[in-house]
Amino acid sequence: MRGGEKKFTLKSYKKLFQSLYPQLCVFAYKYLNDLELSKDFAQEVFLKVWEDKITFQNENHATGFFYKSVKNKCLNYLKSKQYKTTERYELANLEDYETEEFYMSEAVTIETTAVIDKAINKLPEKAAQVIRLSIEDYTNNEIANELSISVNTVKDHKKVAYRKLRGFLSFLTVK
Amino acid sequence: MDNSDKIKPLSEELAASLIKNESTSDFEKSEIFDEEIKSQILSNIKTGEYSDILKGIETKKDWKAFKKKIKKRPKKSFRLWSYGAAASIVLLISIAFVFNKTDKKQDLDFEEPTIVNNNIEVGTDKATLTLEDGSDIILEKGQVYKSNNISSNGEEILYSPKGKRGKVTGNEVAYNMLTIPRGGQFYITLADGTKVWLNSESKLKYPVTFRRNETRKVELIYGEAYFDVSPSTNHRGAKFKVFHQSQEVEVLGTEFNMRAYKDETHINTTLVEGKVSVSTANANEVLVPNQQSSLNLETSKISKATVADVYNIVSWKDGVFSFENKPLKDIFKVLSRWYDMDVIIENTVKKEERFIGTFNKSNSIEDILTAIKSTGFINTYEINNKTLTIK
Repeated sequence: MRGGEKKFTLKSYKKLFQSLYPQLCVFAYKYLNDLELSKDFAQEVFLKVWEDKITFQNENHATGFFYKSVKNKCLNYLKSKQYKTTERYELANLEDYETEEFYMSEAVTIETTAVIDKAINKLPEKAAQVIRLSIEDYTNNEIANELSISVNTVKDHKKVAYRKLRGFLSFLTVK
Repeated sequence: MDNSDKIKPLSEELAASLIKNESTSDFEKSEIFDEEIKSQILSNIKTGEYSDILKGIETKKDWKAFKKKIKKRPKKSFRLWSYGAAASIVLLISIAFVFNKTDKKQDLDFEEPTIVNNNIEVGTDKATLTLEDGSDIILEKGQVYKSNNISSNGEEILYSPKGKRGKVTGNEVAYNMLTIPRGGQFYITLADGTKVWLNSESKLKYPVTFRRNETRKVELIYGEAYFDVSPSTNHRGAKFKVFHQSQEVEVLGTEFNMRAYKDETHINTTLVEGKVSVSTANANEVLVPNQQSSLNLETSKISKATVADVYNIVSWKDGVFSFENKPLKDIFKVLSRWYDMDVIIENTVKKEERFIGTFNKSNSIEDILTAIKSTGFINTYEINNKTLTIK
């Protein structure tokens, strides 16, 4: 059957909010250095999408749209009179903020961090610790030392983690 | 250059590879960043630079506050125009609401629907094939079936014409039946090349092969089917007939829709292309394109009329339900077949209210209800298991 762009229900919008809102707040914070304002901006974008009944082709498109909208809101704010008169800011700084490179690297860093956290949250405590250290480039030996367990136990924890995350990981890598 | 749409896939691939301790192909190959920035990104992720601040965001609390914001503001009145193609968007408009706006309350109640246990699912391709010996075979996505000249991939079924040496002489031709349950649809190509789309809750009986020089006969036992009949000229002039216990349709190569549901009072036959003749025991109507015959099963009277837009009648086969000036109760009757649900409309006045609308069959039932609700016409609804109650 033909696919279509879905309109959000309150339920599906809640899901989207929960899966994107924290990252967007942190992302805005990178520009604004003010967490409360960052939350406001993120919520304003969510409000706009809801009220204008904006639909998206897929999740990638939706995610991109939210990041881009938050970025634009932040940059507009930084360029606004209100900001200029209340805060001292460096022009050079703003130019850095306006680059595609800054935007994409911050967005990817934050989004990746969120995905990893979500995956690790699914694991039992010990396995989570092992994977956390493994991501930080600890070898199995180093992990064993750090957690005072044997190397074989480290390997077992990894196996458990991969098995538990199998669905999640394969979902992520499906092209 | 806007790379926004790549944020999610890039991040997911990167996260998966870091967890698995594997190299990160897409990210490493990506031309968005130079090498220095790539290593900066990797190092920030590995040390969990943003992890703590992320965890500090109180998403649940903020959602509650946010939800109040979206409820407090009055919703904008429903728009008649839509973004993008109409077919991809749920759109259902109460005619009374559009033409009689002042009568309706503008401040729409934002009463949350009650959903106890939503077991209402979008319909899929599925059917039961009954072979001549009476044995049943379930056809659905992922189920492959093959035998003699029959093959099915679970989404459609194809009867290939027998080769020259195929023996169809002498004995009676074998018949198969295809039964589509509620919540199903299926597509079949008969041995003569005729294509048939079958809607939910329908049953078709047809021969496994057609005998040469004889009228091709199939039977729509009940339900709705769209026929794209292989022309007689390709079959040495052999006619094609669709039987039903109350009528028969004689065809000379054409496309038409026949709707004969058990719980409806009329059999409607609508011609899209070509020419057909609809006969009952004591009457006969010849249809030209865009005409519809309607057989009243109580009086056995047959009438004929021109339909304004054939698309509304046949769009179901292309994955779209399209309603033009239809009472709510009729709309929900169609929906109940596709979503396999029971529908109760509590208010009898509302049942007769007419709507214009079109929506995609891949929409969830909740998407559709949200659209109807946004017209302000219904206050709310309740879903309990497979029963939908419109309040």
